[in-house]
Amino acid sequence: MQILIVDDEPAIIAALQPALAAQGYGLTCAATASEALGHVAATETDLVLLDLGLPDADGIEIISKLKKISGATVIVLSARHQEAAKVRALDEGADDYINKPFGIDELLARLRAADRRRQQAAGNLADAFRSDPLEVDFGRREVRLQGEQVKLSPKEFALLEALCRHAGCVVTQRQLLIAGWSDPNADSQYLRSYIALLRQKLEYDPSEPELVITEPGVGYRLAVNVEH
Amino acid sequence: MDISRPTDIADEQAEHDVHAAWLSWLGDAAILISATMGTVVALNVERPRTAALIYLIGVMFVGARSGLYRGVLAALIASFVYNFFLSEPVFRLGVTSLDELIPLLAFNVSAIVSGGLAGRLKDRAQAARAAEAKNYLLLQLSDQLQRAIKAEDVAAIARLALRPSVIEDIEIQLGEDGEGRPGRSGAQARGNGMPGRARPFEDFALNGSRGKLGTVRFVLNRQDGDRRGEPDLKAVANLLALAVDRCILLEQLSETLAAQLSEELKSALLSSVSHDLRTPLTAIEAAATSLRALRGTLTPRQEDEMLATISEQCAKLNRYTASLLDMGRIQAGIPNSQFTNVDVVEILGVALGSIRRRFPDQEICKEVPVAFAVTRANAAMLEQLIFNLLENAIVHGGEGRPILVRLTLNKVSCFLEIVDNGPGIGAAEQARVFDRFYRGSNPIQREGSGLGLYIAKGFIEAFGGTIEIHSPVIEKMGTNVTVSLPLLQKAIRVPEIADADTDS
Repeated sequence: MQILIVDDEPAIIAALQPALAAQGYGLTCAATASEALGHVAATETDLVLLDLGLPDADGIEIISKLKKISGATVIVLSARHQEAAKVRALDEGADDYINKPFGIDELLARLRAADRRRQQAAGNLADAFRSDPLEVDFGRREVRLQGEQVKLSPKEFALLEALCRHAGCVVTQRQLLIAGWSDPNADSQYLRSYIALLRQKLEYDPSEPELVITEPGVGYRLAVNVEH
Repeated sequence: MDISRPTDIADEQAEHDVHAAWLSWLGDAAILISATMGTVVALNVERPRTAALIYLIGVMFVGARSGLYRGVLAALIASFVYNFFLSEPVFRLGVTSLDELIPLLAFNVSAIVSGGLAGRLKDRAQAARAAEAKNYLLLQLSDQLQRAIKAEDVAAIARLALRPSVIEDIEIQLGEDGEGRPGRSGAQARGNGMPGRARPFEDFALNGSRGKLGTVRFVLNRQDGDRRGEPDLKAVANLLALAVDRCILLEQLSETLAAQLSEELKSALLSSVSHDLRTPLTAIEAAATSLRALRGTLTPRQEDEMLATISEQCAKLNRYTASLLDMGRIQAGIPNSQFTNVDVVEILGVALGSIRRRFPDQEICKEVPVAFAVTRANAAMLEQLIFNLLENAIVHGGEGRPILVRLTLNKVSCFLEIVDNGPGIGAAEQARVFDRFYRGSNPIQREGSGLGLYIAKGFIEAFGGTIEIHSPVIEKMGTNVTVSLPLLQKAIRVPEIADADTDS
């Protein structure tokens, strides 16, 4: 996988290079937005790690351009407490975000999730999702938790499907409202209620979920390979 | 419309006055006519002395009622009527005997005496009423001036408090060299291009506790020469001077306090930054340079320990800089435009998840008998503050002792209680734990940044909630931190969802 990191801090790039190379990822870097757009246009790029605070442009504004040029997965690097910017970036087409500073484990997990999604998107829509405790068959609308079948209502299934198709990546509240209600302006309390129902059926302790994780102020994320 | 209103009131007043004057005249006439009739009756039954006395009483009544001038007028009428119609010889004027002269004299003297007395009494009463009105005005003015916080507000408040009165406008000039000169009076043209004659004014000095504060100019709307009912301008000026003086002192005091506070904050910030940033940096520097210098000679275990130190200290630095940023956010004010509907139950779950990753062996008792508790907040800040409170309870509550987390609701609020079983917080310390950079005295407490509770409180208050600390909780042990947040009323009812969503 070819990764472009867009950040004007050379130390970060130097620190990431060996770890990413060890995973078999190729890494190039760009310090400015225009450099990044030029690179993406010229070279095959699978994934862009994009810092939102760039010297020459608002990072959010170039997300749609990046996606239009290359169709690369975009993961936004952002700071804590910038939920509004994260949501905007995700709505602009970014696939995920990661808070700075981050550990390499966290970054690699996000990259793996993005890679998996990319491969799924390359072949047609996957017809099933399989992870350690959870198996979802999208065609037959079947859900199994540790081998046991779980009955879900249509709305619950629609939400779980949206989460599974982005497994490991964040899914915004807006995206889930569209998935469940076809209306991004539907009452968020409906979404909360259905997520709660879903957790009742899937979680060991619904009040401290380990599968359907809340990303405060942004949305939800389906954790993959949950250890028990 | 507004301009015509005072004239209407004046017209009504004048009409009312004319009415009262007529009634008063009629009353006097009635008294005199009754007295005349009484006198006629007395004369008809041959009681001339009684007749004269009845007439005398009538004249005295009029004098006492309506003052000197009308009393004398009544006396003259009575004299004429008595002399011409009643006393012998009838239908002729003239005094032939002392018997006839005495009643006439008595009428006039009693009218003069009673009228004079009544007049003086009335003047006194009027003077007392005027004095009372003046005092009332001054009292009201001083009451209203208590509200002034800025010296610039004093004139406006006084203008309102003194309306309506002869003082049409008040101009206060602060500083030693005002245009107005105390003691000066004169007339000035109307401002704002308003037509009309020039208005008289009087200037007074405003003297405060530390010398001259400025001058005040009273622009007057004075009926020609009439100074009755006019408030004592000197007294008004003194009241204004007091208010201005108080405001100036208040401003200076708050400026001094603010300067002092930011100085204290600056030095606390500096000492905190130099300590809390340098300590982890020193550890990181030491570990990193050792790893480089001793490459190849370290055992894998030693290497591991140094690497662990680096990443632990990095995490610490990260938490600390985040706290400083949060402090900055609170000081700048958190706009509620960032707030969304947030479920406290859900965010509590997220914070508990982070806390369990940080303290994997910590025992946490949970009492959350609530499905939803929706409030208006910033979700990430809410998670941060709940995490801070949980971390505090674990770190300060004594290693290894379980903590209790309880979430309850009433109709308007949700209450998040976090209870530890540690040594508790003394009463004196409880008031200070929310202060910036405040740290307790024991080594564990010294470890913290002194910002956790400050940030928690700042965020909670931005969300319209409160935080309280109760300690000890039971048997001289433990601390209970209770956060209350207002519930979003329309979200309390969980939507009916089962109907619309069933497998068919």
